Amino acid sequence: MSIVSETLNSANAAATSSDRIVIDGLDHRFGESVHAASNVSLTFAPGEFVSIVGPSGCGKTTVLNLLAGLIKVQTGTLSIFGKPPKAGRHDVAYMLARDCLFPWLTAERNAEFGAEIRGMDRAKRKSRARELLEAVGLKGFEESYPKALSHGMRQRVALARTFCLESPLLLMDEPFGALDAQTKLQLEEVLLSLWMKERRNVVFITHDLAEAITLSDRVIVMSSRPGRVIADIPIDLPRPRSVSALQKDPAYHRLYAQVWEQLEMGLKS
Amino acid sequence: MSNPSTVPNFERFETIALVVARIVFLAFFFLGWEYVARNRIVDPLFIGVPSQIAKFLWNGLFVDYSIIRDLVWTLGSTFLAFAIGSVAGIATALIFITWPLFERFSGPFFSALNALPRIALAPLFLLWFGLGIWSKVALGASLTYFIVLSSAVAGIRSTSADHLTLSRTMGASKRQIFMRVTLPSAVPTIFSGLRLGLIYALLGVIGGEIIAAEHGLGQLLSFLAGSFQISGMFSVLLILAILGTVLIEVMNIVEKRLLRWQ
Ligand SMILES: Nc1ncnc2c1ncn2[C@@H]1O[C@H](COP(=O)(O)OP(=O)(O)O)[C@@H](O)[C@H]1O
Ligand SMILES: [Mg+2]
Repeated sequence: MSIVSETLNSANAAATSSDRIVIDGLDHRFGESVHAASNVSLTFAPGEFVSIVGPSGCGKTTVLNLLAGLIKVQTGTLSIFGKPPKAGRHDVAYMLARDCLFPWLTAERNAEFGAEIRGMDRAKRKSRARELLEAVGLKGFEESYPKALSHGMRQRVALARTFCLESPLLLMDEPFGALDAQTKLQLEEVLLSLWMKERRNVVFITHDLAEAITLSDRVIVMSSRPGRVIADIPIDLPRPRSVSALQKDPAYHRLYAQVWEQLEMGLKS
Repeated sequence: MSNPSTVPNFERFETIALVVARIVFLAFFFLGWEYVARNRIVDPLFIGVPSQIAKFLWNGLFVDYSIIRDLVWTLGSTFLAFAIGSVAGIATALIFITWPLFERFSGPFFSALNALPRIALAPLFLLWFGLGIWSKVALGASLTYFIVLSSAVAGIRSTSADHLTLSRTMGASKRQIFMRVTLPSAVPTIFSGLRLGLIYALLGVIGGEIIAAEHGLGQLLSFLAGSFQISGMFSVLLILAILGTVLIEVMNIVEKRLLRWQ
């Protein structure tokens, strides 16, 4: 981390950042009173899985939406692979807590929707959507409409749709936040296996510290509003990780306690 | 017998029993009516006689086809009114969505027109379009138009914000968003508008025919009333009830096919 920022400070930031995501001196306000993000500076290395945790309302979604180009940057600079954020960039995929499936499309048509919009060749996106549906455990449900699928199954389709996009950066806003504990663990497993196949940059927003540690290479902790970065903790658990095995792993629990301590200290200061 | 097979059997039995009960009820109802009219407990001039209703229907449907001919006129006008009214309604909705400023400008005018009791336009339409079907089509279409317009606007506005956001992040063009997201989301609401619009098209056409026409079930109805043929009137009312039911049923079938995903 320190090496990265030194490089950034000493040299021309744009020259070194064409393969990474750089947030520098970001500040964002909604109106006069709501200060959502305050002096956020972060750099994500290629293929890094980074989680951002923090209390609800601290500005996590705001940071993600700024990266997605859904809201305009006010202060600071954002650079994704050397270019400023812009909604609709093909190298960025976005996923929400709500599945956002189109009720009039079957699971398969939903899974390939984004790829279709982005003009991926029909045969290619069809086979990719089918593969991904199988990978998320929905083989046999290709022709089902969302109303016939459970909450967890719908979010699996949304995962398949996100990965079908083939974007090197995935922005995920509490994608499992609305699921029950059991389903959540299952989907974390699915996400990890998809990610391990083709490592991409993931920025994963969550308010669940356990989830953040399980999935990530790095956990960023934000303070309550105005959201500042109060801790940036590397998670050096070996990969490939198994979500269910981690639950019983003492190293994981030690790490959890450690991160929790840092989080508490950060929240106090 | 195991449970799963006996339950549907019982349900089927219940359905059959209900149908039989309805037939028995109708039989007693018409027999009672016939008895009351024949014995002049109530003057048949006011309530007609079921046997004559049946005779009128038989004659009009299968012998001289007089009812069929008028039915064709009414149906034809209704479909024209429905088609013109709903196409114009959806087109206006698209204009509203594309130019919100125009919607805000014309809102009061549209509200005033919509609030106007449409049947009051019948004399004007008669002057403009004559005694033929076009004055009826105009009346029916003016009813359908506003119903379909408001449902189409509501439907298009009801598109989920999440769906729009997601499509934007995928890089969908405005045209793609409209065709692939906005329009499909609006279909259920537009459809309920269309169903209501069809019934109102029939209402407008029948109303227009009653006021002044050369053909059509409404004209037949007002002719029969003018010559005190009460049994004939009841047969036309029966036909109209059946016609309305069939139209609704057809719309339901189309809707089920179109909105399988719901
Ligand atoms: N479009 C907006 N207009 C006004 N206030 C907003 C808007 N979006 C978010 N906020 C406010 O900014 C703060 C941070 O929101 P958000 O980034 O969604 O938090 P988080 O995702 O961490 O829960 C909240 O207080 C929220 O009410
Ligand atoms: Mg949020």
